[in-house]
Amino acid sequence: MSSNQSFLKQAQTILKEQFGHEQFRPGQEEIIVNVLNGRDVFAMMPTGSGKSLCYQIPGYLLQGTVLIISPLLSLMEDQVHALRLTGEKNVRALNGLMHPFERSRVLQNLRSLRFLYLSPEMLRAQTVIKALSKITISLFVVDEAHCVSQWGHDFRPDYMHLADIREQLGQPPCLAVTATADEHVRDDVVRSLNLTHPAQIIMSVDRENIAIIVQKTANQKEKTEQLFHLLEKAPYPGIIYCASRDWTERLAEQAKQKLGLRTAFYHGGMDSIDRRKIQNQFLDNQIDLLCCTNAFGMGINKQDIRLIVHFHFPSSMNAYLQEIGRASRDGKQGLAVLFYTKSDEQLPEGFIDGNFPSDEMLHRVLLQLDQGTRSLADKNEFMSVLMEEGVSETAARFLFEHASEKPIQQTYSSLLDPCRMRIKERVAVQVNDLSIMKNYLATSSCRRKFYLRVYHEKLQEKPAYCCDRCGIPLSELMQRIPKKKRTELRLMDWKQKLAALFQESGRSPL
Amino acid sequence: MYQDALLLYLVQKFCGERTCSGIYHLLKGKKSSQSVQDSYLFHVAPFFHSCSELSRSCFDARIEHLQRAQLIKPIDAECTRFVLTEDGVKLLDVFPENRLIPDGLKIIDQINEEGRFWLKLQLLVQTVSALCQGQSAFLPVVRQPEISEHVRRLILSGPPTRDQLGRIVFNELYQLFLTMPDDEANSLSALLSGWKASGLTLDQMAEASRRDALECSILFKSALRRMMNLFVGSPDQFPFLSRLLIGRQSSLSKTAETTRKLLQTGLTLHDIASKRHLAVSTIEDHLVELTLKKVNHWLSDYLSTACEQQIMNVADHLKTRQLKPIKNHLGERVSYFQIRLALAKNAVSGRKVVRINEQ
Repeated sequence: MSSNQSFLKQAQTILKEQFGHEQFRPGQEEIIVNVLNGRDVFAMMPTGSGKSLCYQIPGYLLQGTVLIISPLLSLMEDQVHALRLTGEKNVRALNGLMHPFERSRVLQNLRSLRFLYLSPEMLRAQTVIKALSKITISLFVVDEAHCVSQWGHDFRPDYMHLADIREQLGQPPCLAVTATADEHVRDDVVRSLNLTHPAQIIMSVDRENIAIIVQKTANQKEKTEQLFHLLEKAPYPGIIYCASRDWTERLAEQAKQKLGLRTAFYHGGMDSIDRRKIQNQFLDNQIDLLCCTNAFGMGINKQDIRLIVHFHFPSSMNAYLQEIGRASRDGKQGLAVLFYTKSDEQLPEGFIDGNFPSDEMLHRVLLQLDQGTRSLADKNEFMSVLMEEGVSETAARFLFEHASEKPIQQTYSSLLDPCRMRIKERVAVQVNDLSIMKNYLATSSCRRKFYLRVYHEKLQEKPAYCCDRCGIPLSELMQRIPKKKRTELRLMDWKQKLAALFQESGRSPL
Repeated sequence: MYQDALLLYLVQKFCGERTCSGIYHLLKGKKSSQSVQDSYLFHVAPFFHSCSELSRSCFDARIEHLQRAQLIKPIDAECTRFVLTEDGVKLLDVFPENRLIPDGLKIIDQINEEGRFWLKLQLLVQTVSALCQGQSAFLPVVRQPEISEHVRRLILSGPPTRDQLGRIVFNELYQLFLTMPDDEANSLSALLSGWKASGLTLDQMAEASRRDALECSILFKSALRRMMNLFVGSPDQFPFLSRLLIGRQSSLSKTAETTRKLLQTGLTLHDIASKRHLAVSTIEDHLVELTLKKVNHWLSDYLSTACEQQIMNVADHLKTRQLKPIKNHLGERVSYFQIRLALAKNAVSGRKVVRINEQ
């Protein structure tokens, strides 16, 4: 026990000195102590509860490099960025989108790294495995571990090889983390990753500092009126999630006109540089209200978002909790409001179909692969060609990942039936997710109790500001939510702009 | 409004010989031989790639607006090709030309490098801005690996301290902006991102400056082209930033440049096609591009003077720059390729197409 206490003490010092926090949040200490003891750990922590600290702190106390397997490029980039902000320089990422020079520089300097983020497909490259097997790996972190389970929402075939790879790397201790996983998925993760007697730390998916309101309206017009009624007195910064690009643009414009808010929209149809500019402005508090599709938010690390509005409801409880979980990560009071109307109910069903290739497309692509008129050699090329043909990104990825798994001695066309089976299973899962979401909207009892039940949890203690069903004194709540000072986003002339960019106001040009 | 004048101008220049899509592709800078060629044929090369962020839906909405306002009218049943109405002509006539086409826009020698150059400049400025404020963590607006690699090398080869680096970039940008009209310098600088000084999007800039997004884009492009021109013309004045342009300095696309080199070694069109595993028509596109850019010493091998004369006579007679009517008129005597070469050659030598508004 005394060794645990000394671990804890060291961890606290790092927490304070490196990350500037005074106190651990629930669950973090237990995970960290287990990791420091060299145990395999399975941890489920809700979005926004600080799961990255659970492997970042051990990075400073263990000998060697922490490997973090992360499925999403944007997530990886943001994590690296967040660590750099704390002053950590020995952190790098390896992914398929890097310049080959950059990749080989990273591989040559592995030994000096404290943290290395990797996409799962990078671990399939023998050069990478070879380089990694020469260094000491202190911890093997699998982020978004539910991706390993075929029952999960985003099953990634690349994740199935992680257990083998860990073995090849000398079986370093493993920390598998995820935000949401039911028991089924949990068992799957533990088994697929070959965790030995793991410490299981399961935290509630509840975020008690977020008050929840679901509001049914008679029609679209009333929904918009209710929204603007809310926005008049709402706390900012905030996010409005919409189902379509059109709506993000329309609402951003209206909120700007009617309320004088600094608004912007964000969706997948925008130029990537513009998207990044808007994201940076939002992070720098130059935007009060961001109207976006679900393309926004993954990996966004902003502590003081106070309001999350759903103008259209998401297609699963999981997505909903993830999105409202972006509110008030600093632990202060936040608010999540969902508006819906009868006609919204058709929207998500269309999305589910769009997540998978149509039968005709599946058939054609497999045939083309056999005939050599389509190739898997370049993933980006494969994906972008399909997307130009009108296939959604998730459907294109589905095709790529399943086709890549083809055994050598078989034809691609032989994958047709297994793929059809898989699509059928996955559609069934998603249809079920959607019906749970609809039940949530319709429930007449406590919202929080409802979603906790979905995750087989019980509400321990009802927060003061719970949900619309339990009753929320709105004006009192609004006062509890911290207000933000605004910085203006203004048009500068070029001299001012240059001075701002280079802080050269005191210096005159040559 | 600027955007109306711009579209009217282009509709007028295209004389109803191309569909609206042709105008859209011109503004977007579509890298097809057709768009490149059109930009010369119709004498609108400055506008190639001038509004690269324009969305199709926005463009279509503006065209629809012009049609409803009876400034343009369709000349085909499908409403894809337009000419100006009298009102349209009047409106265009009173719009000041120097506002419509700022001088910098006409500098198109570096047009193929423009996109890459702008990406590099943005990333360089953002990086240096963060560095000289002691920050090593920021979210880069540009994330193309090749661009990052280039900027990385440039910074490593620059002055040794962050302070000096910041000063040299600041000074060179300051000197550059001094040489251009303020409107243009303001537009380009507003788009730049830096540490805690995020760049505006074109739409945001439009709103803040009370111009439309197309005008903002044109002002920005004019500034950008002036900048590139200075880097090529007086690199000594801008020893650091001018290195953003080192490498290829040619208005030819990379692939046409390769064809040019092979042509010089004496290979024929068909030799080149088989050597490069490309379609003959692709190599033909390259030769048309070379002709437009006046790299045409080989031209007589493919187009005799007599043949060229014949084609141009017919083109003038029919008052068109469309291939099909010319080909129909001349039949088997000439190929489509020869017509394209003749039109391309005469586009650069300044022969203009005249078309009287029909109906």
